[in-house]
Amino acid sequence: MTRYIIRRILGFIPVMFAVAIFTFVLVRVIPGGPFDFVGDRALPPSIVANIEAKYHLDWPVHIQFISYLLGDDVVELLTGGEYEMTAGGSRGLIRGDLGPSLFYRSQSVNDIIKGSFPISLQLGILALAIGIGIGIPAGIIAALRQNSWVDYTATFVAVLGVSIPSMVIGPVFIWLFAIRLGWLPVATWGAKPPFILGFIPRNLGWEFWSKAIMPSVALGTGLSAYIARLTRASLLQVLREDYIRTARSKGLHERVVIIVHALKNSLIPVVTIMGPLFAAIVTGTFIVEQIFGINGMGKHFVMSVGNRDYQILMGVTLLYTLLLVGANLIVDLTYAWLDPRIRFD
Amino acid sequence: MKAKRMTILLGLLVMAGMVLSACGQEVVTVTVIEGGEVIVVTATPTVYDPVTLNLNLGTEPPTVDPALSTDTTSVDLVANLFMGLTRFDPVTGAVIPWLAETWEVSDDGTIYTFHLRTDIPWVQYNTGTGEVDLVTVDGATRYVNAYDVEYGTKRTIDPVTASDYSYVLYIIKNAQAVNSGEEGFTLDDIGVTALDATTVQFELESPAGFFPAIAGMWIANPTPEWVITAAGENWIEPGTMATNGPLVMTEWVHGSEMTLIVNPHWPGAGDIQIERYELLMIQEASTAFALYENNELDSTGVPLPEMDRVKADPVLSAEYVNYADVCTYYYGFTNNKPPMDDVRVRKAFSMSVDKVSLVENVLKGGQIPAGHFAPPGIFGTPAIGSVGLDYDPTAAAALLQEYLDEMGITIEDFNAMDVTLMHNTSEGHAMIAAAIQQMWLENLGVEVRVENQEWGVYLTTIQNDTPLADMPHVWRLGWCADYPDENNWVHEVFNADAGANRLRRGCVDEVCAEVVTSRFDDLTAQAGVEADPATRIELYFEAEQILSEIEAAYIPIYFYAGNSVAKPWLTRDFPLLGGNNFFEWEIDWDAKTAATR
Repeated sequence: MTRYIIRRILGFIPVMFAVAIFTFVLVRVIPGGPFDFVGDRALPPSIVANIEAKYHLDWPVHIQFISYLLGDDVVELLTGGEYEMTAGGSRGLIRGDLGPSLFYRSQSVNDIIKGSFPISLQLGILALAIGIGIGIPAGIIAALRQNSWVDYTATFVAVLGVSIPSMVIGPVFIWLFAIRLGWLPVATWGAKPPFILGFIPRNLGWEFWSKAIMPSVALGTGLSAYIARLTRASLLQVLREDYIRTARSKGLHERVVIIVHALKNSLIPVVTIMGPLFAAIVTGTFIVEQIFGINGMGKHFVMSVGNRDYQILMGVTLLYTLLLVGANLIVDLTYAWLDPRIRFD
Repeated sequence: MKAKRMTILLGLLVMAGMVLSACGQEVVTVTVIEGGEVIVVTATPTVYDPVTLNLNLGTEPPTVDPALSTDTTSVDLVANLFMGLTRFDPVTGAVIPWLAETWEVSDDGTIYTFHLRTDIPWVQYNTGTGEVDLVTVDGATRYVNAYDVEYGTKRTIDPVTASDYSYVLYIIKNAQAVNSGEEGFTLDDIGVTALDATTVQFELESPAGFFPAIAGMWIANPTPEWVITAAGENWIEPGTMATNGPLVMTEWVHGSEMTLIVNPHWPGAGDIQIERYELLMIQEASTAFALYENNELDSTGVPLPEMDRVKADPVLSAEYVNYADVCTYYYGFTNNKPPMDDVRVRKAFSMSVDKVSLVENVLKGGQIPAGHFAPPGIFGTPAIGSVGLDYDPTAAAALLQEYLDEMGITIEDFNAMDVTLMHNTSEGHAMIAAAIQQMWLENLGVEVRVENQEWGVYLTTIQNDTPLADMPHVWRLGWCADYPDENNWVHEVFNADAGANRLRRGCVDEVCAEVVTSRFDDLTAQAGVEADPATRIELYFEAEQILSEIEAAYIPIYFYAGNSVAKPWLTRDFPLLGGNNFFEWEIDWDAKTAATR
């Protein structure tokens, strides 16, 4: 088991490297650089040269990549001083430095992620809790009462939840609960850095919850509908398996059959999607964060492309990759517990 | 019993889905903290309730470093935190004293000498005590002096600073040489010198009547050398930065919110009525508008979809303000690409655009139809309506027919040339393009193809060294004032030799590596160095006239307008030349508290 985990973690390295190199090259292929223009105005070449020199964008691409991975000082060492480390230069991904932002001129990518990722993580965890908390029980009930009114209602609500996008639910919530009824504040997030352990809000009072409810629900309902449909389908399939018939014919109590034998197995597909879902949700959802004016990480995925902020785009992409491969590893480990036939030795 | 086990099982599954190498344990911690309130930090209730402004900046300011600011949000904040030598009168737009009390210019117009106030101290916010501290040197208050201005200006020009906007200072002697790293030039060669603590002198490359406006720009602000040397790039954080303006920054949660307070040591502090400024960074205009409706913001912009409702609603319409914005929206022709290389075609396209109808039916935001380039408020701009081609579809069709006859082609042949109109991707630009495309079809029978590209790609496409085959025939752009002088408009944008010349006027070769100048180019170059204001106005009038009427090198479409709402308890202005001087606003605090509590 431990060997398996170590092997998998070592396997992350080539994945991360491949993602890094692809992203690094692809963002530079988009026409237009980060410093070509101020507003509508094309900057004089001498000024572009000054700025590019500051951020080492004048170096050959492969040198830039080495610098991104290993740091400017390593590049200086490797090239015998041909490319020099300057003040504010990158210490390299390998030492946890994601470099300076090219658009937010006085901030580093590390600062930006430190400020926005915890907020996306808080929102994501709440939304997932809602998604799972409603989705799994709803799916189970729908499956157990298949073709009853309960099933039809649950399925109808689930289809509705999947089909209404958060960009519709969000403004409707704001209009109803904030402006018409005045129960909740319109927007913004009720927690700001510093966070406990880097991501837990210091104040979990009404200020936090009143602002968290609408975005979490807007994001969570879609998830719950998705999870409910998946749980229902999977459980229905498992209930038709031979071993369930065997369990029943042994005279086991129906509850034992469902909970011990059917449910555990039926959750494998749900857990499978939970890995990528987790990685996607906690790294920020652009639309919900925009609608509710939340300073999450979602906007950096979108805006760093428009701003040609190579460094932010690299940083958030790599963080997403890391979370994705990590979550998938956990998912695989969970399989062994859900289905005793799966072994990792 | 069994139900409980099921709950536990479900609970575990929930955890399993969320557990992750990095935060698995931390999820558990959330619950622990929810249970015990040990770590909850409650804000101490303040007895005193400061007069507070709530406003949305709309975006995280990329910086508030005067040398590096380029966007309006950053520049607005710099203007409230730092003082420049001069500023613009909010109403008339004239250059008025600010940090400098007086200034004079040498007879040949190349040397400007500014005399500074002596009572502006450097201050620093103390994050520990929550007080604004005076910066002291050897126990004495450190006042802003001419050396700070010299340092700030030179720092912007220093190539190491890598300032985007440093080119605006190229009018200063040797600034361009130093900034482009020419051999043999050092920072000492730049034509800015502090003669003594209160006098700073600028030597210019050539006479420039608009220099007092440039001297007041953020890029020439005095900056605190000792702080920047010690803190480096991050010197603009509250607690670290030293500032000298009317307001002081106390908190900056990047990407989320910023708080400013009055600088109590600023000489005019007694006249500043609002004590606290809470600024949000919400990008979504409709969300900001909802906050406004819920009394959580005191003023905000009106999103286009809300326009009709705001105008119809009895409350909102009373709070609605329409104001001019110093920007121009225009369609450029690629003047050396057939058929746009013929003036009759350009005139036909220009005269068949019904700008009045466009503004009233498509834009609906109180924009002013434009006949020339520089909007009102810019020095040297012609009066509205005095320059420009009028909407005349009949004459336009006749001009196009004349061209067709001379070339011996039909309108079908013309349409086969596949005339393309390009804009950057945006719903607003697409609506305008569709309307104008329709006007050209109806008035001229011309079928124009509309294309759009993402902003960065688009700007690269319409550079004037793009191969002609890849250039659209017509393209849209906007221009806003850096400083309020025609030099910044017709000269810097359109001059074939010295300007950006995306219109590709006077190009000898396809990609404008070489250009020949004409009357227009000579006029704008001459007006830039002319000292007499009246003569400058005449020169610019003729230049504007040539470009839009005689050459019809582009189509000026409209001058921008802003659309905002402001609560009745807020007294704010919309300066002629843009910007937001928060410190000059006022709030009827009783009315605001009555409405919001």
